[in-house]
Amino acid sequence: MSTWQDLVTASLIGTERAEVPATRIPGWPAAEALGPDGRAGHPASQDGLSGQDGLSWDPAALLLDQAALLTVARRAGRTADEAEPLAAAGPDPRPVASPAAGERLARILRGDHPDLLAEWLRAAAARGLRAPAQVLPALLDRCRRAGPADSGLRRLVAEAGGARARWLAGLNPDWKWLADLSPDQATGAADAGTGEEPGQRTTGARQPGDAWQPGDAWRLGDIGQRRGYLAALRAGDPGAARDLIAASWAAASASERVMFLRVLADAPSLVPDQPGLMPEDERLLEAALDDRAEDVHGWAGYLLATLPGSALGQRMAARALRSVAVRAGTQGSYLVVRPPAGYDPALRRDGISPGAAAGRTSLAEPTRLVLEIVARTPLRTWADAFKMAPSAIVALGSGTWAPVLFTGWSRAAIAQRDQEWMAGLINEAVSGRPPGTSSENEALSQLARRADPALGGPGGVPGPEPGVPAAVRNAITVLRFRYDMLKELDDDHSDG
Amino acid sequence: MLALAPDVPSQRAAQKLASPGSWPLTGARAGADASAAVAADAGGGTGPPAALWGECRGSAAVPYRTAIDLSGPAWQCSCPSRKFPCKHALALLLLWADGAVAAGSDPPAWAATWLAARAAKASRAARNPDAGAGDPEAARTGPANPEAALRRAAQREQRVASGVAELDRWLCDQVRQGLASSQQAGYRHWDDIAARMVDAQAPGLAERLRALAAVPYSGAGWDGRLLAEYALLCLLTIAYRRQAQLPPPLRDTVRSRIGFTVRQADVLAGGQPVKDRWSVLARRDLEQERLRSRRVWLRGRESGRYALVLSFAPAGMSLDDSLTVGSCVDAELVFYPVAVPLRALVGTRHGEAPQGPPPGGTVAELLAGWAAALAADPWLDSWPAVLTGTPARAPRPCLYDAAGHALPLHPGAGPCWPLFAVSGGTPLTVAGEWTPRGLWPLTAWDDGGRAVPL
Repeated sequence: MSTWQDLVTASLIGTERAEVPATRIPGWPAAEALGPDGRAGHPASQDGLSGQDGLSWDPAALLLDQAALLTVARRAGRTADEAEPLAAAGPDPRPVASPAAGERLARILRGDHPDLLAEWLRAAAARGLRAPAQVLPALLDRCRRAGPADSGLRRLVAEAGGARARWLAGLNPDWKWLADLSPDQATGAADAGTGEEPGQRTTGARQPGDAWQPGDAWRLGDIGQRRGYLAALRAGDPGAARDLIAASWAAASASERVMFLRVLADAPSLVPDQPGLMPEDERLLEAALDDRAEDVHGWAGYLLATLPGSALGQRMAARALRSVAVRAGTQGSYLVVRPPAGYDPALRRDGISPGAAAGRTSLAEPTRLVLEIVARTPLRTWADAFKMAPSAIVALGSGTWAPVLFTGWSRAAIAQRDQEWMAGLINEAVSGRPPGTSSENEALSQLARRADPALGGPGGVPGPEPGVPAAVRNAITVLRFRYDMLKELDDDHSDG
Repeated sequence: MLALAPDVPSQRAAQKLASPGSWPLTGARAGADASAAVAADAGGGTGPPAALWGECRGSAAVPYRTAIDLSGPAWQCSCPSRKFPCKHALALLLLWADGAVAAGSDPPAWAATWLAARAAKASRAARNPDAGAGDPEAARTGPANPEAALRRAAQREQRVASGVAELDRWLCDQVRQGLASSQQAGYRHWDDIAARMVDAQAPGLAERLRALAAVPYSGAGWDGRLLAEYALLCLLTIAYRRQAQLPPPLRDTVRSRIGFTVRQADVLAGGQPVKDRWSVLARRDLEQERLRSRRVWLRGRESGRYALVLSFAPAGMSLDDSLTVGSCVDAELVFYPVAVPLRALVGTRHGEAPQGPPPGGTVAELLAGWAAALAADPWLDSWPAVLTGTPARAPRPCLYDAAGHALPLHPGAGPCWPLFAVSGGTPLTVAGEWTPRGLWPLTAWDDGGRAVPL
């Protein structure tokens, strides 16, 4: 309405300098015809400025009068716009997680236990559930912040969000990363259960010209794309991925060799608690122990320690039993610790060297040696040698060595995914000797995130006693949170 | 506190009862002076006196219900004691004095009824409907001295009239000198005139003026929006001067927008309760300086009538949670008597049940309702919307209905990604506020029929 724009222009300049435009409002008498009666009692007329005709009014008052009429007329006369409709999102036959589960996901995204996001997503994927649609924008934003390095989280979000997330990501350039995940990355192994057509996987995402031919990503891609290719291959044909790594090893840079090892260790599917390493990988890893690059050989040592029955595990077990022994005393059994004399080449080859973790810890060398050895020793070593259950072993007195053993066992239990040990260690921290050092606190915090969440349910760990250390209270809170979280997702499963 | 006790045994009994364990339910309400300005802006006013209430576990199976009007003070208790005040009322006062009674909630129905009846009696005694909570002096002494209250009301009327005249001159000055400099003016420009309106006891005008400080920075078209707001303020000053000639509902609208408040008790006493099953459509929380306010939109399943329930709390305190979005409340509402009655108080509640999406309308229906409402109240700046529609991104973010009629989404609502996520490009029911700048979506119903706050 140009009449309105004329009024706006006049008001911007000011009626001192601009004429008040003549205003026509449909169905309304012309402005001149309103006369002073239309503004009875206006100060402009009381002040004697006004004559008998409308022309001698205060022009500012006249302009405001007309603007008020036009404003209301324009608001009331508002008509509808036109829209360009969007294509609808593809269907997702999976049931949606319940309101309670969705609300917890939203809480996690708002910062309540944010590190449990991946667990929620993995648990939902394992149950064939999709995330509630209204949470998707926050999920996609979370991944944008996480950056490309966290491709695991992106895969999980793509899986939980399904077709709706891919549709939504197509509307916002900030979420382009979702379309950039290769189809295999975007859907992951658990996708088999979604019943989607393969053609729907990248709806609106990829330009035809961008498409890689099979193998192009490996031959031509950067390290991220090579990783994506290798991970997809590993998920489908683990042996072929291993062969490809072995064939490419010599020509690869150190950072790529580390990437190879990490792909081997990655869980093959989004379903948790399935280790990625398999016994057939041991030969490759054992060879990598002789790698010149510190990172590569450190990773190889770490991974071999998590592989059940590995030769490295046996070597560590022998070292551990030379250093830690059980003794019978008048007040029950206790542990004695004799640290090894120092580093030797074999120890260094197995990934424990003075430099390897020097930056991470301020522990005295003998202490650190014991810690590293215990952390890499197969946990059944202790039960077999001491003829005791884990819960009894962790309760044995060991004097000043107790924090070192607690931390080492905790790391081993997490790396080896040993639920019995994790439960024993948590119970010891809650009901036995409370953790005292910062590395113990950190270990307990990790245990609470990895242990069976049933520990947070009824009949699990006892409630926090008044006066327990904050680390213990936090661990119990995390266990409870995880228990409730998984229960909500399970409830949905049975309902849906 | 104990000096109020009728005798020494009452004091001892009260001290024994004054432990939180004996009181499964307690609550307190502060006086409403702080909320008056915002209440007025939203088209009405509240003036509940400070009050306490609680349920005390006693020897009987049913707990004793105790309510205290702190402005009296006056008490009411369901116990059979003939002492006055009884030990329950004293104990409740002691608990309150110890800080063991949480403030900020609405009284339960039994306490609200009694408090409302008291307030109504007090205002009848004052015989002065305009002596609202915005004038605390009148509220305190009004009942005792009706002539003084009348005099004060006349004084206030004079102050408002001179404030309105000053505002009128100020508005004309703005337009005379030109709005172009407004972008360099800074907040003080509007705060100064707003402060003068506060002095003139016209808090509604002050609130509107303060909100204008943001307009020059609101993006393209700010000049038109500023002129529109100045023009509507000018219209309000004209309407105030001519209030004697206006029909009563429009006069009440004008006065409430200027900042004259109406006591809740007067609304409850004077209005006809509207019984219906009210769908709780949407909720919007605003935070201003030291006050939080909550707007809850309702719609009657049978009458199709819209209602707006406001509640207030000091910053940091929780707001009234009694109306859950997506549920349906069987209740009697009493509307404020204005030209477009939207604002209402919840009277008696009979029940509540979860419920699927409300029936969604078309864009044409919404715009027709909006036009009719504007005809009755030109200062209306938001209107309840329930639409069946689909969101789209182009040519700008909007919601369109089955006929292809689209309404823009309010720029202040952000990109509205959750609305798009829930829709997935297919139609859904959306509730929100329609404003001159666009639709502010607040609730969407997903394909499972669940209400999703946006």
